[in-house]
Amino acid sequence: MFEVLGLEFFRNALIAGVLASIACGIIGTYVVVRRMVSVSGGISHAAFGGIGLGYFLGIDPLLGAAAFTVATALGMGALQLRARQQMDTIIGAVWAAGMAIGILFVYLTPGFAPDLFSYLFGNILLVPGGDILLMGVLVVIIVAVVALLYREFQAVTFDPDYATVMNLPVERLSLLLLVLVALTVVMLIRVVGIILVIALLTLPAAISRLYTTRIWSMMLLAVALGIAFTLTGIGLSYIANVPSGATIILVSTLAYAGALGVERLRQDD
Amino acid sequence: MTAPVIEVEDVWVRLRGHTVLEEVNVAVYPDDFYAIIGPNGGGKTTLLKVILGLLRPTRGTVRILGETGGAARRKIGYVPQFRTFDFEYPITVQEMVLSGRLGHITRIPRRYDEEDHTRAQEALETMGIAGLADRQIRNLSGGEQQRAIIARALVGDPKVLLLDEPTVYVDAPTAAQFYHILDWLRRQMAIVLVTHDIGVIPEHVTRVACLNRRLYTHDTNEITPDMIEAAYHCPVDLIAHGIPHRVFSEHVEEE
Repeated sequence: MFEVLGLEFFRNALIAGVLASIACGIIGTYVVVRRMVSVSGGISHAAFGGIGLGYFLGIDPLLGAAAFTVATALGMGALQLRARQQMDTIIGAVWAAGMAIGILFVYLTPGFAPDLFSYLFGNILLVPGGDILLMGVLVVIIVAVVALLYREFQAVTFDPDYATVMNLPVERLSLLLLVLVALTVVMLIRVVGIILVIALLTLPAAISRLYTTRIWSMMLLAVALGIAFTLTGIGLSYIANVPSGATIILVSTLAYAGALGVERLRQDD
Repeated sequence: MTAPVIEVEDVWVRLRGHTVLEEVNVAVYPDDFYAIIGPNGGGKTTLLKVILGLLRPTRGTVRILGETGGAARRKIGYVPQFRTFDFEYPITVQEMVLSGRLGHITRIPRRYDEEDHTRAQEALETMGIAGLADRQIRNLSGGEQQRAIIARALVGDPKVLLLDEPTVYVDAPTAAQFYHILDWLRRQMAIVLVTHDIGVIPEHVTRVACLNRRLYTHDTNEITPDMIEAAYHCPVDLIAHGIPHRVFSEHVEEE
């Protein structure tokens, strides 16, 4: 299968997989330790509204998704900081409303939406060069922001009340973190699709957490695991000629189950 | 007389239509070891949140060292309830203690300098956990975890230490050790202890107040029967459950 490495679409797929894994490992770490999994699920499904909006306006659907998810993340964050109750209901509502908006926009757009399916389920083998560039820029932004605000994010995700007492800008930092989650979600749409985003965002970090004692080491291991899962998934899906997104997710889920099983055995000893 | 470190003035809190705090006034002085007791649901946590600036009161003001607002709160060392703490979080003891310095760092982005590291090391040594600095907080005993949380509060040079139900989830020897530490710390700062467990009010406190929506104070370290009755509405039951008799005034013992 090595001759396929010479093909541009395959190289693009590998690069996209690596870029997505970097973002996932870093942001997924915060999602896991701060227990933001359901909020992230809501944000990722709301992204479909942005995809639909992109089709409707005739712009790159991924660009539409980026704007839409960031706005959704900020809205949910503001609600979370103020409402404090029934957050799971609000997340469920945003989740469904985003999907519904997407369906309406796609319906209203004249003609047929050709690669709608690839946004829902991902197709890393079809990532165009322009999207690689967009993903690269997003990774640089994510890495830079986290490197600059590592201590602040640690304080806010570990003990937000204490961070407030220390007079840190907890509200702004929390919103910024949600914006980073939104940008990461947008990157992952190409790789595994909206429906499966949450798995790639959380599974590498969840496994990494079992073996690490600090945020930065958890991030590094999560990035490495993400790269291993996506590359394995791409390879397997190419050989077996099955959808890449689903294969990547199944590889990750199996690894997670295996890690939990091993952990259980170790504790029994 | 010296100025109070914490001044709570006519604070009222209404949450979802219920009055949780009513006309609460507290003044904590630098040499106070102040215990606030009261039943669960009596508003203890709410009062703490108001003092810490986590909750805005419906009415009234809170002053820390004579100032209001966020910057003044950095003078508070806060020791949150054990139960609410996320010990699974991937953070080492040293990182956690260092994070207590963040409020004092003004340059952006915030970076720890040599002084921050020195202060963290001192706090770890004060609490006797310097040898555990590189452990993840999950891998500590309950007593060690509690000392780590106090160490984080100490690195910020607090003028007052605020403790929320500190002995609920620790065993008796650990609690005794813990009060020993507090006795030592109170030479350097005021201490406010909030608990529903009257049995653990040690002889060390200088003042006691009972909180059940209203605050019933008494300028001594005695819990008087009228305070208990006002705060709990069921004095007999409480006495039957064994309050150490030293906290009662003479005439109660004679009864």
